[in-house]
Amino acid sequence: MSWSITTISRIRKLFDVGCASVALALACSASAQEISVPRSVAAGSDTKISSTGSGAATFYLVGPGVAQKKDVSLGEDVRVAGAELRFAGKYVAIMCSETCNSSEFFVTASQPASLAFLAHPSRVPARQPDAVSGVALLFDKFDNLVLTPTSIDFQVKGASETLLSRAVSTHDGEAWFRTSSGKTAGPVRLTAAVGDLSAQRALQQVASEPCNLRITAQQTAKGLEVETEPVRDCAGNPVSDGTVVTFTGSNPEGKISIDAPIKGGVARAHMNVREPVVISAACGVAMGNELRIDQKR
Amino acid sequence: MKPITGDRRGVVDQRGCRSRKSPVRSLAGILRVSALIVLLSLAAASAAGPDVAVQLDVSKAGPRKIEPQTEGRILADYRLAWADIAQVLSANDPSPLGGLFVGSAKQWLDESIASQRQSGVTTRYSNQSHKLQAVFYAPEGDLIELHDVAEYDTQMLAGGKVIHEDHGVHRYVVLMTPGADRWVIRELMEVAQF
Repeated sequence: MSWSITTISRIRKLFDVGCASVALALACSASAQEISVPRSVAAGSDTKISSTGSGAATFYLVGPGVAQKKDVSLGEDVRVAGAELRFAGKYVAIMCSETCNSSEFFVTASQPASLAFLAHPSRVPARQPDAVSGVALLFDKFDNLVLTPTSIDFQVKGASETLLSRAVSTHDGEAWFRTSSGKTAGPVRLTAAVGDLSAQRALQQVASEPCNLRITAQQTAKGLEVETEPVRDCAGNPVSDGTVVTFTGSNPEGKISIDAPIKGGVARAHMNVREPVVISAACGVAMGNELRIDQKR
Repeated sequence: MKPITGDRRGVVDQRGCRSRKSPVRSLAGILRVSALIVLLSLAAASAAGPDVAVQLDVSKAGPRKIEPQTEGRILADYRLAWADIAQVLSANDPSPLGGLFVGSAKQWLDESIASQRQSGVTTRYSNQSHKLQAVFYAPEGDLIELHDVAEYDTQMLAGGKVIHEDHGVHRYVVLMTPGADRWVIRELMEVAQF
């Protein structure tokens, strides 16, 4: 059997390349060390990182809140305390002897331990569509946002009615709702709950715009005493004290306006005007009845 | 035409203006000014912090719509925040932190700086490119949640020796809330996937 020179040359080349590869692999295995890390760890949990090889090495753990360095022996497990893994995120485990090798793993949030609940507004007029909203965020005991979908029960209760009762699943750690305000003025309690965790907020539901403003007037020795009937919104809730009612008196000499705050549900004003006079009142968008007062009558 | 005359201190041109520079000196002067401009530019770039590219997509944000002014503010503050992270973790000095981090995000950053200082580790971030997507904007505008797909080079050094190098894509879940004059980061959490 005879081989051509070209064939022999090719075989020699292959042999050379093969030898080089084997030598490189041997050299690499001599200096490199494999690191095995957990795929994922819950925040605050102890874990261990293992390596292959033998001899002394320096171990580094770098991640959110930590850059640990310690001398270790290759081939022995490195124990990482849960206190080093409190913050969720990516951690890099690095093992350095002659060369450095690294491996990465993720720390995820542990069990929900606190609930942040943002509710708005603090005062809301009655019967307003989509006027009340709340956002709940779920955190573990290290303040990591819990990204695992979790059902949060929202409840919004007034004195005599339940405005909302709904379970909403968190998405990226947050869940939210929006609802209309109720009919009755008074305190409203908002609750967000997950298992044993709950957070409560309160808001005050107040009367909305006045409705059917009516006024009466009485002649006294000092002039005209004008007052409203109890001012209420369209649902019958008394309008808050301090809301201003504007009384206007018009006669041939001109016009006079007096602002009077509601006190005890009623607004009063004293008008020193000559008769005949037409008196009207306004509060917000509501206009009251007109009174015509004429001495000749 | 009046002849151009010269003296030891330079030449007088046809308009009567005195110039002290010979052509060679002018060239040297230009080079000096150019060098100064380059140095000043480098100093300004260094003062502004590392180069951080940030894009923000607000098309999927809800339930509240993000106003263009808010969008611009969030973009600027997030960019500054990452420039701060790169700066403090490469120098292990918390002083450049400009109040852009609060709560959990500030806590881990402070602890990282202290821990890195103790172990002699520094981390360098370079060639940062962030693609932010707003995924939730609270009904009252008091909270925004973002997803950041970031691409950057990381280099970790211990005692001046590189112990880890990486170029890759990183995913972050971010919570920001409005502060007095800026949007601050409350949560900055790297995740394996969204």
